[in-house]
Parts: sequence; structure tokens; C-alpha cells
Amino acid sequence: MPDRYARQTAADRPGIAQPVPVRPVPEQPWGRILLGAALLFALLLGGWEAYWRAYGVTPGIANDSGLWAIQRRRIDAGEGSATVIVGSSRAFYDIQLPVWERLDGRRPIQLAFEGTSPLTFVEDLADDPRFTGRLIIGIDPQVFFQGFGLHKDAIAYARRQSPSQRMGQWLSMHVLEPRLAFDDPDFALETVLARQAWPPRPGKPSLTQVRKLSQSEADRNTHLWSKLADDAQYRELARSIWRQRFSPAADPPPGELRKTIAAQIERMARAVARLRARGVPVLFLRSPSDGEYLAYEMRLFPRAATWDALLAASGAPGLHFQDYPQLQGYYLPEWSHIAPAEAERYTAALYGVIQHDFWGPRADSASAPR
Amino acid sequence: MVFNSLTFMVFFACVLAMHSLPFSWTTKKINLIVASYLFYSAWNPPFVILLWVSTVVDWYAAQGLVKARRQAARHAWMVLSVVANLGMLGYFKYGQFLLDNFTAVMSALGVAYHPAHYDIVLPVGISFYTFATMSYTLDVYLRRALPAQNLLDYALFVTFFPHLVAGPIMRPTELVPQFETPRAASPQQLRFGLALMTIGLFNKVVLADSFLSHVAESVYDGDKIPGTLDAWAGTLAFSGQIFCDFAGYSTTAIGAALCLGFAMSDNFRFPYAAVGFSDFWRRWHITLSSWLRDYLYIPLGGNRHGARRTYAALMTTMLLGGLWHGANWTFVAWGGLHGLYLAAERALRARFANYRPGPLMFVVLGLLTYALVNVTWVFFRAKTFGKAWVVLRGMLGQSGAVKPILDTFSLLCVLVIVGGMVATHWLMRGRTLESVIARAPAVLVSIVWGLLAFAIVIAQGAGSAFIYFQF
Repeated sequence: MPDRYARQTAADRPGIAQPVPVRPVPEQPWGRILLGAALLFALLLGGWEAYWRAYGVTPGIANDSGLWAIQRRRIDAGEGSATVIVGSSRAFYDIQLPVWERLDGRRPIQLAFEGTSPLTFVEDLADDPRFTGRLIIGIDPQVFFQGFGLHKDAIAYARRQSPSQRMGQWLSMHVLEPRLAFDDPDFALETVLARQAWPPRPGKPSLTQVRKLSQSEADRNTHLWSKLADDAQYRELARSIWRQRFSPAADPPPGELRKTIAAQIERMARAVARLRARGVPVLFLRSPSDGEYLAYEMRLFPRAATWDALLAASGAPGLHFQDYPQLQGYYLPEWSHIAPAEAERYTAALYGVIQHDFWGPRADSASAPR
Repeated sequence: MVFNSLTFMVFFACVLAMHSLPFSWTTKKINLIVASYLFYSAWNPPFVILLWVSTVVDWYAAQGLVKARRQAARHAWMVLSVVANLGMLGYFKYGQFLLDNFTAVMSALGVAYHPAHYDIVLPVGISFYTFATMSYTLDVYLRRALPAQNLLDYALFVTFFPHLVAGPIMRPTELVPQFETPRAASPQQLRFGLALMTIGLFNKVVLADSFLSHVAESVYDGDKIPGTLDAWAGTLAFSGQIFCDFAGYSTTAIGAALCLGFAMSDNFRFPYAAVGFSDFWRRWHITLSSWLRDYLYIPLGGNRHGARRTYAALMTTMLLGGLWHGANWTFVAWGGLHGLYLAAERALRARFANYRPGPLMFVVLGLLTYALVNVTWVFFRAKTFGKAWVVLRGMLGQSGAVKPILDTFSLLCVLVIVGGMVATHWLMRGRTLESVIARAPAVLVSIVWGLLAFAIVIAQGAGSAFIYFQF
């Protein structure tokens, strides 16, 4: 039976002016088809949203390079005298900006990124004369001293973000993300399918990827996802994912690690020197870790060879949680981040230590640290 | 802006709304041209100037061509258009490439030459719209078409947002007549246009970006040496990714235009069911291959001046076609391989003129074509020849004992999606999408449409750019 929708293309008409194309519409009741498709789409989407809400997910703002770029641009737009936090997930999840603002009178700019060494961000700030505020550099040993860069492209993205991307970011933050729980990369179709229990391929180690750990707000104020504290099974899953790194078999070759550590410290010291040369107070922060994670860090990144070496090379002060009783004893469900219910108390204590031992009270602070 | 973005959804809804208001046809065209400039400037506003330059130069060149009485004057107007367009393309796209090669030649001759880095941003879609505007002047020069009646219609042809940045590469004779008289989409066209957009976005967001791109990246962008299975899986994944990405863009573009009442050309016809390479190029990126045929291969002599000249024209066309895709010798190698394939096929067809393959051999030849096309994709995807050789060695089983790169899920993605895609191309080989939809029960069409839309949303694409934008 001949195809009544068959038509020629430019491939069939060499060397002539191409005519107006034919674009037939298949004979179908398109109105009813569209209605049915829309109904099915709405039903499926409603079911998908209900499924993730039942799992414990609530709508939040996606923590991506676009959200980071908004905060980075605050420095360009006249807020260069603010306190800025860079670092990895611990400085990101543990420090609660509303608490800091209540004590300090000004809300810090949160530029930390999980799984990402703060080094390139510090270098970026060192190169930017508009930044004249105070800088807290979170040092998560495994991330910083190995130079991990999960979100290392954030700076480049912020610089080349197109008007279209900025508008898309705004729309997503204001229209979709505050309403849809499933709108989170951890629940994207491919991610969900990939994490199913597929049989391992012989010779290919099967590593479980890190699952959702945090919940963010529009200004990147972020805390550990409450499911880590409330759901024992999910907490155990998170611990088992960290545990994959703890075996000595997973360690990088010692010589290679030593070189990486030295290189990270050397670059950081140079960036910090540039900041301090123009009067920017810099404070390194080693946030709490616990349990097997702490034991792993102490084994692979002993304090004397890493933290102490960093402070010595940079000449900048550092605050290590083990030196302050008020920064210890918090509940870290998966050993690496403070439970959301305790992060506010931790932030207040941290602010107090910083003001008392390092920076002194700000002239414009709303209340004195305790 | 990219089609797979929230920004585009809002933009397109506004354009549809404006286009349905009871304005005069001229006002509607002005609305469309303003919208198209907005669409383009959403990447980088200053580059709109390039669009204006391209539009104005070819408009006046065509006017000059019509008014010229002497052949030399006609020739001069045509050359002006070609030089202006290729000059712009050369500066923005090939400037650094030419400089790098010049430096390398100087170095080989023992001359130390260290020029400053160009650091030029490539204007998105420049290869597409320069070819579209050149075809306008060239059609007038070749006396195939008359120039447009007014600048507004012509400017809208150049900038019409559905085809502006990644094709289909429209000819003025295909689009300008559609702007001359009032057009509005019928309700049926609007709904089918939306269905086409859903199909296109499903290809891009779900298949290309979510399931195939990371497989190709793991093999091509890492520093591990792939074994046979990984090398083939990575390359097959890229063959699926680039088809779903580019055909997805074309389908979305065609659907968007149809929603506004305009018809655009087919750009793909199930190319992975091609039997032979001339068949492949009649099915893959049809608007580019026909452009190269009409404005390069035929003017170079085509098949009118004997075998040697024909092969030379073929190779020149395919080498330049490769270079059109990107300023890198790997793209030239990709085009050169296709040129060799086409030349070999031509020679074999001449030698075995009476041969007609049976059904089984027909399929075997089709699969051989697909396998050889995959070999060319290695050069297209690899960033360097070194990487291309590493992958090719893997595909030929010459990598030795190496550790696996891809996990079971990635291999399954390739097997299911690429296997399904090739099977679908064979099933659809002699058909059109429209004929299949027309014969399907309406309920089934509705269910598939709803499922595709659902998959697009839950895939949560990151709004990544289409591969062909960089060309």
C-alpha cells in the first residue's frame, strides 16, 4: 500500500531551487489525543511526585552552578565587604546562615560546594579586588588535600552564564523548585535507574554513588537532609557509601598523595598571601567529623602532615574542632555532617569561638558572641 | 536559548500567543523577527550584529546581481557575498585553527613564531545561517530564483528562530514564499507540531543527554584505554547520541515552525538503515548534504567531466564538509573517510552495475554501512588523533589486556537504546513518521505522547546545548 504521506526531500532534487516543503498532518483526532496525553502526563507526574514525597523528599532549591553564580555575583555587585564562606560540604551544610546573621548582623555569602576543594574559589577571590571582606575556608581533609573538584566549573559557568541561562535559573527557582519535590538530580530518571541492583561486570569494581545528603534554600543556606537523621536504613546506606573509601586498598599511592598534598598547600598558601596582603582576614576551619570517617581521616591525612602544614605554610590562623570542646559532641548521622537539628547550636558556638579567638566583635554586629 | 530549557518554553508560549492575536500580517512578521533576535541574543547579545551583517550583505548582493548588466558585475556581487560570509565564518570559526597550523608549519621550518592567542568566542549557529544566506545570493546568481520582494521577508528567512542556530538549513525558496502571504496554524497543525516537539525533545533530553552521553564520555574523555567491548559501546553510544541530539533538534524545530503555520524541510530519514553511503547521505543531515551538492559538488563539475574529476569533486566536497563541522583536522579526517567511502561505493557500483543484493545481503550491506559509519564517528567524537587511534585499536581488539571502563547499566543502555534505534530505522526505512501515526490507534498515540512528555520531565535535563550548536 503506497504511503500517502511520502514526500521528496532536497536529496531528491539536485541542482534546482528547492520548493516550499510539504508538511502533512496525519489524519487523527488530534484534539482528543492531546487531551488524553495531557491527562496521562498529569496522572503520571502526580504519581511520581507523590512517590518521592512519601519517600521523605520535600521541595527545595537545586544547589547547582547557577545558584552558586547568583551568590558569587553579590561580591561583584557591591557586597565585597561581606563574610564569605568557601569550602566543601562540611562548611556548606554545618554553618547555618540565619544563625550567623542573627549574631553578626550580616548574612554571610555561602560559596562552599560539596565534593569540591575550595582552592580555585580562594584563588578566584584573591584575584578579585572587589572582595575585601572576611574569608572562612573550610578544609575537609579528603576533599582539599586530594584536590577533588566535583563543581570546579562553577566559576567558569558564573562568568559565561548567558541571559537565557539566567532567566531559566530564575524561572526554575521561583516556579518549579519550591513546588516539586522530585525536581532534584538525585531523583532524575537515569540516576534512579542506574542505582538499581544491576549485576556487576566482571573486573569492574561496583561503587555506589553518593546519594542525596542536603537540602538547600535560595541563598544557598543548606543543611544535612533530615532523612539522614530520621531514617536508620538511609543513614546506614550513606555510611556504607563512605565506607567504600575507608579501606586502605582504596588509598591513592602514598608518593602520589604526598605530592598532591604539597601542591594543594603550596597553591593555597600563595592565594591566601595575596588576600592577606590586601587586608582580608582569612581563617581556615576544620569542621567536625566522627566515627569511622574521622578514623579514616586521621589515618590518611594525619593532622601534623596536613592541617598543621597548611597553617605553617600559609601563616593564616586555623580553627580545628578538636581544639574546642564547644565544637565537639554533636550528632553526625553519617559521621561527616552535623544533624540539621544541631547545626544551629553548632553555628552559634562556632561564631562565638571565631569572634572570641580570631576576629573580635564586628563594629556593626547585632549582638556580642557568647 | 536552547529548545530544552524553561526559558524557551516561556518564550515559545509568548510567541504562540502573539502570533494568534489579530494583528496584521506585517505586524506578525515583525513580531516573529523581534522574537528571533531575542532568541539569538539570549546567548550573547552582541552577536546579533553578525546576523544583521549577514542579512544586509546578502540582501544588497542579490539586489546588485539582479540590476547588474554585465556578467563580470554579477560575478563581483556573488564574490562579495561569498567572501563576506566565508570571511566572517573564517574569522570566528577558523581563525585560531589557521593560526595554529601556520605556527606549526613555521615551527617545522625552524622558524619560532609565537602569536598571541586568539581567544575568540564562536557565535552559536554561525555555520548554519551563513550557509542559509549564501544560498540566497547563489540561487539568484545561478538564476535558480528571484530575490525576495521585501527586506522584511528576507530578514525573517535568515533569522526565523526554529532553524536559526542548527538548521534544517533552509533555502530562501523554501521559506520566503511562506512569509509572503498570511499563514496561521490550523488546530491540527498546532497539535501535531506540539507532538513533533515532544518527540524531538524526548530524543534530546532523555535518550541523548540522559542515557547515552555519559557512556560516550566515559570512553572518549577519560584517560583509560578501552577494550573491544568498551570501545564499540562508547562509539555506538555516540552514534545514538549524535543522531538523537541532532535529529531531535531538527524535529523540535520542524514542530515549532508547524505550530506557527510554517513548513520546514525534512533533515533526517532514518539514516542508520542506509545501505551504502550515497544512501546514508540522502538520509543524514539532508539539508547540509544537498547544500554541499548544489553549491559545491555540482559547481566543481559533479559527475559531468569524467571519473577523475568526479572523484576529485567528491573528495573536495566531503573534506570541506568535514571542516564545516569544526576547526580540527579530526573533522577533516571524518569528511575524508566519508569521501573515500563514497568514492569506493561509486567504483563498486560501476564495476558491478548489474548486481542486485538479495534480502539477506541487503541487510548485511546495511549493517556493514552502519559499522563503517561508526568508524567515522570515532574521528568526529575524539578530540585528538591520538585518542581516535586508541579507540580504533580497541574496536579492532588490539588494546591488549585492559580493565573494563563501562558498568553493566551503561552497556545495557547502549544495547537497548542503540539496538532499538537501529531496529526502528530499519522498520521505518521506507515509511514516514506521519504514515505510521496515521495508522496507529488514537489511544496508542495519546499514551505514547503522554509517556514521552512524562519521561522528558522526570529525566530532569540540565538544559545542555545541542552538539551541533558548536558547528
